Amino acid sequence: MNKGLLVALREYLENLRTKTFWIGILLFPLILVLSIGVPRLLSDAKDVRRFAVLDRSDWGVLEKIETRAAFPDMRKLLQRALAAKESGDEDFSAYPAAIRATAQDLATEFQRNDTSARDRDKALGALSEMFVALADLDAAQFRAMLPPKMADEIEKYQKRAQEIRQWYRDLDPDEAETYGRGLARGRYQRVDTGAKNEEELQDQLNKGEIFAYFVIDENIVDSSDGNLYVSKNTTDDGLREWFSGHARAVVEKKRFAKKKIDPVVVAAIKAPVVFNANSVDSDGAAVVRTQQTVTRDYAPVAFVYVLWIAVFTISQMLLTNTIEEKSNRIIEVLLSSISPIQLMFGKIAGIAATGLTVVLSWVLFLFIALKFVLPALDMEPPFDLTFILQDKIYLASFVAYFLMGYLLYAALLVGIGSVCNSLKEAQNLMTPVTLVLMIPLFAMFPIVQDPNGTLARVLSYVPPLTPFVMMNRAAGPPSVNDYIFTTILLVASIVIALWAAAKIFRVGILMTGKPPRLREILRWLRSPVGSVTAKNRD
Amino acid sequence: MIQRKMSLVLDKVSKRFGDFTAVDELSLEIPEGSICGFLGQNGAGKTTAIRMIMSILYPDEGRIEVLGESDALRVKDRLGYLPEEKGLYKKMKAAEILSYFGRLKGMKRHDAKDKSRSLLERYGLKDFADSRCEALSKGMGQKVQILAALIHEPELVILDEPFSGLDPVNVEVVREIILDMKRDGRTVIFSTHVMEQAEQICDSIMLIHHGKKILDGSLSEIKGGDSSGIRLDYDGDGEVLHSLKGVSRLNDAGKSAEIFLEDGVDPQSILEALVGRIRIRRFDLREPSLHEIFVRAVGADSNE
Repeated sequence: MNKGLLVALREYLENLRTKTFWIGILLFPLILVLSIGVPRLLSDAKDVRRFAVLDRSDWGVLEKIETRAAFPDMRKLLQRALAAKESGDEDFSAYPAAIRATAQDLATEFQRNDTSARDRDKALGALSEMFVALADLDAAQFRAMLPPKMADEIEKYQKRAQEIRQWYRDLDPDEAETYGRGLARGRYQRVDTGAKNEEELQDQLNKGEIFAYFVIDENIVDSSDGNLYVSKNTTDDGLREWFSGHARAVVEKKRFAKKKIDPVVVAAIKAPVVFNANSVDSDGAAVVRTQQTVTRDYAPVAFVYVLWIAVFTISQMLLTNTIEEKSNRIIEVLLSSISPIQLMFGKIAGIAATGLTVVLSWVLFLFIALKFVLPALDMEPPFDLTFILQDKIYLASFVAYFLMGYLLYAALLVGIGSVCNSLKEAQNLMTPVTLVLMIPLFAMFPIVQDPNGTLARVLSYVPPLTPFVMMNRAAGPPSVNDYIFTTILLVASIVIALWAAAKIFRVGILMTGKPPRLREILRWLRSPVGSVTAKNRD
Repeated sequence: MIQRKMSLVLDKVSKRFGDFTAVDELSLEIPEGSICGFLGQNGAGKTTAIRMIMSILYPDEGRIEVLGESDALRVKDRLGYLPEEKGLYKKMKAAEILSYFGRLKGMKRHDAKDKSRSLLERYGLKDFADSRCEALSKGMGQKVQILAALIHEPELVILDEPFSGLDPVNVEVVREIILDMKRDGRTVIFSTHVMEQAEQICDSIMLIHHGKKILDGSLSEIKGGDSSGIRLDYDGDGEVLHSLKGVSRLNDAGKSAEIFLEDGVDPQSILEALVGRIRIRRFDLREPSLHEIFVRAVGADSNE
């Protein structure tokens, strides 16, 4: 076996035995798990908020608010029952009969019409809203107006709606949790405390019987001055926002009615004004901007970040390793067996293999998390990254830029490492390198917003920044010329840097005492190999 | 004299670090199959000379020939080297590190593995073959490193201070390792500043002081050239030794002493002068020790 490879293999195997390596491998999934798991655990750990309401109005506003607040839950329940029905899940039998019957109807209908996901969503929304409204509708009234057959059909649904509403009203918060996460019913529960005035409510609040209470002013339609939310907890505003959101919708409706404004007119007025963001591809064809293209445009930021962390930590590893090699005094024996160049390349290759193992393990973890863990937890990924995993050129360029970036910084750091005796000394020499490395981080967002702008173009021609900036510009994409010339420049810099590093390594690795001055290092670079030696005393 | 093949030839080799001359016109020939000791005080230039032989440093002037080649790098797989600065990879096991060094010298994986085990067994380290190097004592670690220098059966082995820091038992083991190598026909060069170690096993020695060679040659040549002295072991007040007449030099170590006489002085008169004043345990006439030779040579040099 080639001796350089032998060195690389030993480095690799030794790194596999260190704790740092395994911490590096496990840190990322740990962060991943924590960032998903902890907020979830925290939200699960929250107690059910029991609250009371003192309604001073005379038009049943509380009743209406509650009806309205039930709507999102209703929609979720219908959706989940439908999903359970379609996947043949056993959980389906746990839903009340009215929900099951509706889900059954929907499933049949959707299947027959091969309804698209978007239309399914709309249908569910409409149906749950209708249910909320139907429950209050006076059957005699529509019977008088509609043909009997149609009225029968409506009444059938009204019965279901009333059944579901009754079931929902009696639904205990703990029981609500068994129908899946995120139901408002599982978090907030209004209790009827029998209190007639605020003093009694305050008393109950003090005793801890309730978390908070609301007072609805009799004049709520015209003014909010008399409305109150009282709680001992002043930081958790979730309950107040949830309740007031639904109250606002109810009161707004009432206001429109009072001013005799047609709800249809209101809906027309309130329809949002949106500019649909499109783009044009290189052939001039319009491209509709969807979630996916937005993700694609911003994906480079994530990749630049990962690239940066990988290059930085791995070349740092090389630096530490070189200094350790110097201090464990084994270098002379090695140099009696192999040339310094073989040793240097062996080290660079061994650490690169270590780093690649770590990075690939991260990619694997991410893939597993997106593909299996999140679906298993019933969670949507924050954005869809799978299409990136399918883009071979993008991934290949990531790996290529990683290798080139690593080689360039490896050459710099192995040179620095070889002339230093301790990490402390190395930190001083590292400062300029670190400063240069900060630039891609600061430039990340400006570049992603203008991937072919002057800043982006100029920075991509600075070799230490090329890998990061070009990765950053990927959504542009940069012109072919930019790709060619920056790569030529980068490869040339890598060759020069490795050549210089080899010369410095050759002399520096045997050196003890304080690090040489820059002038001295330049002298080493100019002289032919073997003719200079560091000033060691025997 | 029979023409013997030389393992190592130095021809007027010099090395300077700035204004400091570490090695000054050093010339030397070491025949195949012999053991040669480089002797000198700390800082005399032994390590620099050895590093130049190994092509770790390059001489400013002069010529070096190792196993017939002008550059040790060309024959490095036939050389074994234990540097003055000793260290091992702490996390590697003793047997692993031995076979790693063997493979770096071009051995096959299996050969290196088998050889590392057999070497460890032969020199009493069998139980530590699977211990990590950080768990080895200093002496054990040093033995492992010496074994690492010879695992690939080199023709020429260069050991820089192989005895430093070892207890007497381990010194004995290292000496045995060196003698075993000679028996196998290898050439061994080692450096030391302890004369007795060189005296016991070297075929030839070279004495360096301030980068210059003071003397070299076979032990018998060196010793034969000097007058013999008295070796005295005693108990009592050694002050009396300093008042003796007819003594040219005295090396007093407290319980034993070496006494060298002026020409024509009878050793018998010394014995007579000492009887009754100190308790004599041993009194014999012998050729001078290396220590004496060293002190004389260096003393003469510094008087120039």
